[in-house]
Amino acid sequence: MDTISIAPTDRSPLVEFDFSQGRFRLEGESYPENSASFFAPLLAALRAFLESDDTRPVSFDLAMTYFNSSSAKALMNMFQMLEDAGARGREVVVNWHFHPDDDTMEEFGEDFGLDFENAAFRMRPTPKT
Amino acid sequence: MATWAESYNEYRDWLTGQGIIFSFTGYLSEDMLTTLGNALKKSMALSETNANVAKRVFSVFVEQVQNIIRYSSDRIAGTEPPTEMSGGMVTVGVDDDRFFVVCGNVVDAARAEPLRERLTHLARLDKDQLKAYYREKLREPPEEESQGASIGLIEIARRSSEPISFDIVWLDPEHNQAFFCIKAFI
Repeated sequence: MDTISIAPTDRSPLVEFDFSQGRFRLEGESYPENSASFFAPLLAALRAFLESDDTRPVSFDLAMTYFNSSSAKALMNMFQMLEDAGARGREVVVNWHFHPDDDTMEEFGEDFGLDFENAAFRMRPTPKT
Repeated sequence: MATWAESYNEYRDWLTGQGIIFSFTGYLSEDMLTTLGNALKKSMALSETNANVAKRVFSVFVEQVQNIIRYSSDRIAGTEPPTEMSGGMVTVGVDDDRFFVVCGNVVDAARAEPLRERLTHLARLDKDQLKAYYREKLREPPEEESQGASIGLIEIARRSSEPISFDIVWLDPEHNQAFFCIKAFI
């Protein structure tokens, strides 16, 4: 699968999905005009990758600074896919980077982390976020 | 009799007296959300607003404006290029050191009652209950339109320091349409 690289805009995050390395990144702000159409191709590509015969470990780094409620829904869908892949035996690590002073992103990380049992979800306070 | 410029000055004075940072009334679209959102961020940065507070204000602002864009009954549309704009008003201000965001738009009677019920329900929930409710809504399968509004409303309630205030002004004697107004203090 080809790498997906999308530059950040005022309203959408940086996206870097490197399937050959099993490395994924989402960074910045997310409140796209239409979050369903922004995230749908990303979710589809991630699903195809996780459901393929590929067994490489997956590492997913998020460094979000703000997202709206419809983007939260897309993130949740992504996390469910990653957890399901973990349950099927895939090695999956999700790193949730946030600025140590950012209460909202820290709380969202704690919330999302509750859903992971088979994939690892790590809180990463990162001053440069 | 006041001159027209005096009238506008009174209007400006009134807004300033209410602590208004900016107020927009008219037709809104997503590109205006970008512009107004950036203006709001800049103004909060210039007034050295605490970063966590600024993020909460911004979040409430985005959800409120997107609710107007999606759910206002007062809309205008063009075909070439395809455009649609939604009528409403959005006001951001500071009252006694607390930010507030007020939004209002016209809704049909059928929308008004469910919206009132949802806001009444949210007003009874504490912070932990709001968090749990948000999680529950996130897990629901792709939603129908009305539920789409509620997750945005839960986000507004979570970022607010007191229950969301709301009120309805009926626009016609038959109660077919209402001006629905929401005020959130951060």
